[in-house]
Amino acid sequence: MSADTAGPETLGSLSNEPAPQDPNSEQAKEIAGKSPLRIALGRLARDKVAVVCALVVLFFIICAVFAGTISNLFGVSLDTPLASERVDGLNNNLPKPEMGPPNGPFTWDHPMGVAPRTGQDNMAYWLYGCRVSLTIATTAAIIASIVGVVVGLLSGFLGGKVDKVLSFFIDMFLTIPFLLAALTLAPILNERFNTADNYATIQKFSLVVVLSVFGWMGTARLIRGEVLSLREREFVQAARVMGMPTSRILFKELLPNLAAPIIISVSLMLPAFVALEAGLAFLGIGVTDGVSWGQMILDAATPVYFRDYPQYLWQPMIGVVALVLSLNLLGDAIRDALDPKTRR
Amino acid sequence: MKRNKPLALVAGAALLTLAACGGGSSENGDGDGGTDREIGAQEGGTKDAERQGPAPEVEGAAAGGTITVYLPGDPGPDSLDPTGGWSVTGNSIQQALTSRSLTQYSRDEEGQPVLVPDLATDLGTPNEDFTEWTFTIREDATWEDGKPVTAEEVAFGICRSLDSEAFPSGPGTEYSKTYFAGAADYEGPYTGKDPNCENYDGITVEGQDITIAMETPFPDMDYWGSFMAMGPAPLGNASKPPNYGNQPLSNGPYKIAPGGYKPNEELRLVKNEQWAAESDPARHQYADEWVFKFNQDQAKVDEIMLSDNSDSQTAVATSLGSGNYNDANSQLGERLVQQTSQCVSTLTPDYNKIKEIEVRKALAYAYPYEDVWISGGEVPGVTRDYANSIMPPGMAGKKDFQVDGEQIKYDPEKSKELLAEAGYGDKPYEITMVYYEVDPLAKDAQDQITKGFEAGGFSVKAIPVQESPYNIWLDPDNKVNKQLNMRGVNWCSDWPAGSTMLPPLLKGGAVYNTAGFDEASINDEMDSIATLPLEDQAAAWGDLDEKIMTEYFPIIPTAFRNDLFVFGTKIGNPTGDGSIGAPNYKDLFVMQ
Repeated sequence: MSADTAGPETLGSLSNEPAPQDPNSEQAKEIAGKSPLRIALGRLARDKVAVVCALVVLFFIICAVFAGTISNLFGVSLDTPLASERVDGLNNNLPKPEMGPPNGPFTWDHPMGVAPRTGQDNMAYWLYGCRVSLTIATTAAIIASIVGVVVGLLSGFLGGKVDKVLSFFIDMFLTIPFLLAALTLAPILNERFNTADNYATIQKFSLVVVLSVFGWMGTARLIRGEVLSLREREFVQAARVMGMPTSRILFKELLPNLAAPIIISVSLMLPAFVALEAGLAFLGIGVTDGVSWGQMILDAATPVYFRDYPQYLWQPMIGVVALVLSLNLLGDAIRDALDPKTRR
Repeated sequence: MKRNKPLALVAGAALLTLAACGGGSSENGDGDGGTDREIGAQEGGTKDAERQGPAPEVEGAAAGGTITVYLPGDPGPDSLDPTGGWSVTGNSIQQALTSRSLTQYSRDEEGQPVLVPDLATDLGTPNEDFTEWTFTIREDATWEDGKPVTAEEVAFGICRSLDSEAFPSGPGTEYSKTYFAGAADYEGPYTGKDPNCENYDGITVEGQDITIAMETPFPDMDYWGSFMAMGPAPLGNASKPPNYGNQPLSNGPYKIAPGGYKPNEELRLVKNEQWAAESDPARHQYADEWVFKFNQDQAKVDEIMLSDNSDSQTAVATSLGSGNYNDANSQLGERLVQQTSQCVSTLTPDYNKIKEIEVRKALAYAYPYEDVWISGGEVPGVTRDYANSIMPPGMAGKKDFQVDGEQIKYDPEKSKELLAEAGYGDKPYEITMVYYEVDPLAKDAQDQITKGFEAGGFSVKAIPVQESPYNIWLDPDNKVNKQLNMRGVNWCSDWPAGSTMLPPLLKGGAVYNTAGFDEASINDEMDSIATLPLEDQAAAWGDLDEKIMTEYFPIIPTAFRNDLFVFGTKIGNPTGDGSIGAPNYKDLFVMQ
């Protein structure tokens, strides 16, 4: 008797799918009780890259949340010192030997050294820079996703005129060059708010607005496409026939099915915003009070400092690169984990 | 003249800055260590009316070669029209190499600038009360096309400086318009539709003599004559602006190569074969060619100059990044030249809002001088020095006094005492000022100022602005400006006389008097100094400087400014030009 070529035995050995089991066995019951999200989390936990990236991201989040506490622990702060106390004006404005590298030995007073020219403590600036970076990126990503999801849902589900109008807005915002708009906005905001006492906060707030205003279109398009295909499915039709209000169909029927694309778009938006924030600060149009990785890179990126004091540039560089890279890889891994069709 | 970049910024990047006559130079440090580099003592301007061409040969000079000049962060002149030139960059190049005027400066052995004749045969003859000056134009000077420079052409060139609409940023708007007789009613050859300047009778020509009538006594006409605006221009339409500014006719030892002027980019000069050394008391024609490269990147230029490769051996850089000062100082020896730029940086507390002299002095004690210089990218004691008064060192009549007996340095305790004396001891005295947000160096310098002031018993509100602070300070209707009680000005002299420093900064109603200082007795004294005998004026300005500072202390001089020039190994006679704060282009050569 010949065996079936595509029988359960051969299939089982070629795929990741769990081998068919007796539905009444202990193991099968356990699997049956898992939600799709839990399955995805289980997959994520088995992905080594994802775990490492998650740990790195966690490290940055801890740094950001506890920036003040960690600074106090090490006895460093954002306060401006008198420059001449910490740097040597006659030695290319590099830190004095007792302040640590490059001219002296490591010191616990300034674990990451001090900045040339100003004598500010690098560690405090790095920690608070991390906080600024993550706060702005997270807030902007959340706002942009909410706007994107709502616009995408409405435009996909309602169709007709609403869809046309919303799609027009999506296209319109896509045509505005982001950098140009940011460059134009900076002096306008300055002109309007420079005498306000909380100028630094306004600056960060406006940065969040700029990032989210130019960041929601991708999500909106993605969600709209998903909704277009979902709204013709039987369960939606059934809900309609039963007379469910539109809002309930949108948020109770459709939204849970959109969890995967939403999580993916947020997880990929975050690293993009972190990089953009640093980039804008480097160009001098984002955060201008110095507490930002982008501004730290701007200060450090001169041939002289890089030759004599490379750590000064590496610190913020490594911060940005490690955070963006791990957020990106983590985003990829989440997408893979949420998509039941991927094979790796 | 103002320095464009405010506060503590790199001087080399300053545009449109007219500086300095009568300055000094450097007595260079020894070649090996180079650390005890000092600026030479200065004695103000001297004059030599007898000097005749040709200029004495520079020791070891050789002919030939091309000299490349890098100008980091400096966009160069917008136009080469001699009448419109009022910037350190443009005037230093053109006056030394292409465009002659009535008088000029020569550098003597000690590095002091000496005012000597140029197109005129002497330094001019004033009448008794300096209301009429006569210059005799030499006969042997020629244009680059071989035609002689006539007295009519010189008179026409001088007349052009009266057209303040055709040359809105020219120096004539300040001097010709103010001092020449009837200038206020004459619109100039272009605006007034008078192409040959026939309707203005303040300038008369008789043979080779040009006579200029003055509205008010103008004893400094010989200094004013050293501006290229006081030089010849071809008659009629040949010199019509703005086209003439692209390729002006040269009469100096070099001429502009055909198509050699690309604004903001490059200026190429080649030998002017028609120039005769006998006709010129101070210029030389050693190199075959000059190439000026504008808008260079400071870091790149520093690398080129320090590398000493074949490109940089015949090159000159007009500034040095502060981060490279140490390397350059030990490596370059006498090829790194430190030059006073005859400029003073000041903070100007609003005289009407901060009324007590104690508070103004407290501000001076609370200003952390060296910390501001360091975080602003300057080298303390090298590119910035402590200032004791408004007149820069080297200016005739400058007195070496100290307001409080010794140099005011950062001393927050003293500042608090002074504040308490004025009755503000119980709570911080509020200071409102602006800083240029776009430049991180300006932001860092402001952080230091804030830190120092707060330690000295003040509270500081620093408003970030994204346009030049001068636009704020000089605009009386600006809403930000109305809030300020602290401003600032960086000022450079036009020639070594107190008249180009004190009145522009401290006379009631002067444009750059951002402190709003206005005391009738001081205004009167300034007016009366102009009527004193010439030899007493310098001392009178020095006395007035001391009187203002000790009795009123209206503005806080924060620094005297110096420039650094870097010369390649094959550039002969590496020196600075004390009259204008630029390399000494007249006497440079390529070693063969």
